[in-house]
Amino acid sequence: MKKKVSRLKVPHNKHTAGCASVPVTPPPEVVLPLSMHSGAPAEPVVQVGDYVRVGQLIGKEGGEISSPVYATISGTVSAIEPVKLNTGRTVTAVRIQGDGKMEKDPDIKVPEVHDLDSFLAAVQRSGIVGLGGAAFPLWKKLDAVRTNPVHTVLINGAECEPYITSDHRLMLEHADQIAKGVEYLRTYLKAEEFIIGVENNKPDAIAHLEETFKDDPSVKVMAMDSVYPQGARQILLYNATGKVVQPGQRLASLGVIVINITSLAKMAQYLTDGMPLVDRCVTVDGSAVAKPGNYVAPVGTTVGYLIEQAGGFSEPAGKVLLGGPMMGRTTTTLSEPIVKATGAVLAFNQKDSAQMEPTACIHCGRCVENCPIGLNPTAFARDLEIEDEAEKVAALDRHNIKLCMECGCCSYVCPAHRPLVQNNREGLALSKKAARAKKEGGK
Amino acid sequence: MEQLITTSSPHIHSGASSRRIMLDVIIALLPASVAAVVIFGMKALAVLAVCVVSAVAAEALFDLLAHKPQTVGDCSAVVTGLLLGLNLSTNVPLWQCAVGSVFAIIVVKCLFGGLGHNFANPAIAGRVFMLLAFSAVAGGAMPAGAELVTGATPLELLPAGVSDQLPSLWEMFIGLCGGAVGETCALALLLGYVYLVVRKVIKWYVPAIFIGTVFVCCFIASGDVVLALYEVLAGGLFLGAIFMATDYVTTPINAQGRMLFALGCGLITFIIRWFCRYPEGVSFSILIMNILSPYLEKWTARKPLGG
Repeated sequence: MKKKVSRLKVPHNKHTAGCASVPVTPPPEVVLPLSMHSGAPAEPVVQVGDYVRVGQLIGKEGGEISSPVYATISGTVSAIEPVKLNTGRTVTAVRIQGDGKMEKDPDIKVPEVHDLDSFLAAVQRSGIVGLGGAAFPLWKKLDAVRTNPVHTVLINGAECEPYITSDHRLMLEHADQIAKGVEYLRTYLKAEEFIIGVENNKPDAIAHLEETFKDDPSVKVMAMDSVYPQGARQILLYNATGKVVQPGQRLASLGVIVINITSLAKMAQYLTDGMPLVDRCVTVDGSAVAKPGNYVAPVGTTVGYLIEQAGGFSEPAGKVLLGGPMMGRTTTTLSEPIVKATGAVLAFNQKDSAQMEPTACIHCGRCVENCPIGLNPTAFARDLEIEDEAEKVAALDRHNIKLCMECGCCSYVCPAHRPLVQNNREGLALSKKAARAKKEGGK
Repeated sequence: MEQLITTSSPHIHSGASSRRIMLDVIIALLPASVAAVVIFGMKALAVLAVCVVSAVAAEALFDLLAHKPQTVGDCSAVVTGLLLGLNLSTNVPLWQCAVGSVFAIIVVKCLFGGLGHNFANPAIAGRVFMLLAFSAVAGGAMPAGAELVTGATPLELLPAGVSDQLPSLWEMFIGLCGGAVGETCALALLLGYVYLVVRKVIKWYVPAIFIGTVFVCCFIASGDVVLALYEVLAGGLFLGAIFMATDYVTTPINAQGRMLFALGCGLITFIIRWFCRYPEGVSFSILIMNILSPYLEKWTARKPLGG
């Protein structure tokens, strides 16, 4: 019996699990940041005034690790300008004024795929990135197969964040695409084993997937405990396979790739109809939303428009965030666009947005007990008080700050309401900065 | 649209608060407090009241004079006062109770930076201070209505072996014997233990390991189960193991560290009681382990996943 990691039970609040996904009315405008993936930003290939159609390339890859960006509505490019996102970064974005026609790009055709090279090239053109939130270009992840043969594909359908049900709906509504995606990976990556990890709070999705794959012994639908953060890569990997990525090691070297279930389905869709990633299902929920549900919206749709589509605000909102309540980021403005990896837009009323005042740490140990990785957040807090910068970073590194994935469990359980995740973020930033400086100094 | 609130994730919280934890500890101490008054009479109530009031007043005054934000609202001073009071006998003059409380709060807690920064459990340190300053704190007092007003406590009688002078094990369990007001009724303390475990305030294993270690050691040393049971029920073992060895601030933060802490407390209690024939084993064992706590934490740190 291997030891259990991750035991935190958070309220699921999956109110929208029964809400079938519905497309939104085409928005009058979209804002498409050219950097909504990890890696280099895409470079614009359109100009202000150009007429663009759905699926037309507007930003080409800007580097080795990058992802193309496509027009998600038809209309006129009204601006190419810097936009400040809720991540704090300012990125170039293409603004398109829609004509409401949602005219498809006539050049769209089904990609020709016959071997690994053409398969990866197609995935690269699809514009698909890790849609669970990591936003790492999918083709680059699959590209690892060239150096490390992939034996197991772990498909992440855990969806452990409260509120979000967009993956859940996908499993119920588009299991055929998931099956197609599995076939592609089997054919081109030569993967032999497929594990679909789904939290056991979605019994209907598990049953449906089991039915879908009942004749395929290589696909195992694994019901996982509904504990947060079951869907975090390292946690899911450990709980599903018992494997652990060691520091400095790449996941692929274990013969495993972990892929988000929506990314997989979108990939299959692209390979079938040639339409790149232009829209996605977003869960709109929260105490300030009138009609919570799952809405399929063009990427770049503003948060405000999406909430309008969900019946608008039922009461004044305190916080509006992109993503789940554990790791999602608040936005200052309703004109914030949803990006490729946005799985949810949540709006909370004033009461649910209230902040609690931090009090003194009483050393209760709940943060340590509930850290899925086994870190000690109080140690990071102490380390940050060290004045000497070099010593501070050394202490943070000694306490393994690099392993923190900012999942939020420590802050969630802290009875003193300490800003533990913020501390960890600060520590992570300092550690990364020091590592970068060292690397550059060594050159 | 009015201003949206921007904060760091996570955006939901378990609802736990330090104040709620302290309230739970106070609730868990109520059975023992009631038992103290039932067994030792109104004098016990006076001891508890003086300790609580002087502890809270000391903290309020300290915050005021030091221009610090008022912290009495977190209820931790109530816990300290109540615990200290339960650790004293009715023989202790009330002014000494007050001095002990003030020492516990001001010297042990506030001067080190307040809640969360003290290295030793304030109630334990207060009790040990009183022991050294005023000698008797626990011994002497007999239950109200007993024939003798003062006499030897079971812990003082035990070195001579099990004898007729000792109360029965049942009397020991329900608290009809001499000692500090809150330490004699094991039944009431166990109720508090169950409450704290159910409320997830403490881990079940800390008191269990502490008490279990004392029992096993006494049994091995004497070969007598009855004597070992007497040792476990006598003195402040239950009170200390359930309420003081589980203090968050002064014990290791991780599970393995806490287990080791409890084991160390049990061993030191046994050594002090058995070899030194000194009845104050529990207080000193916890105090010594408090000091070792940071090391225990360091030695037992868990290897992180992927680290």
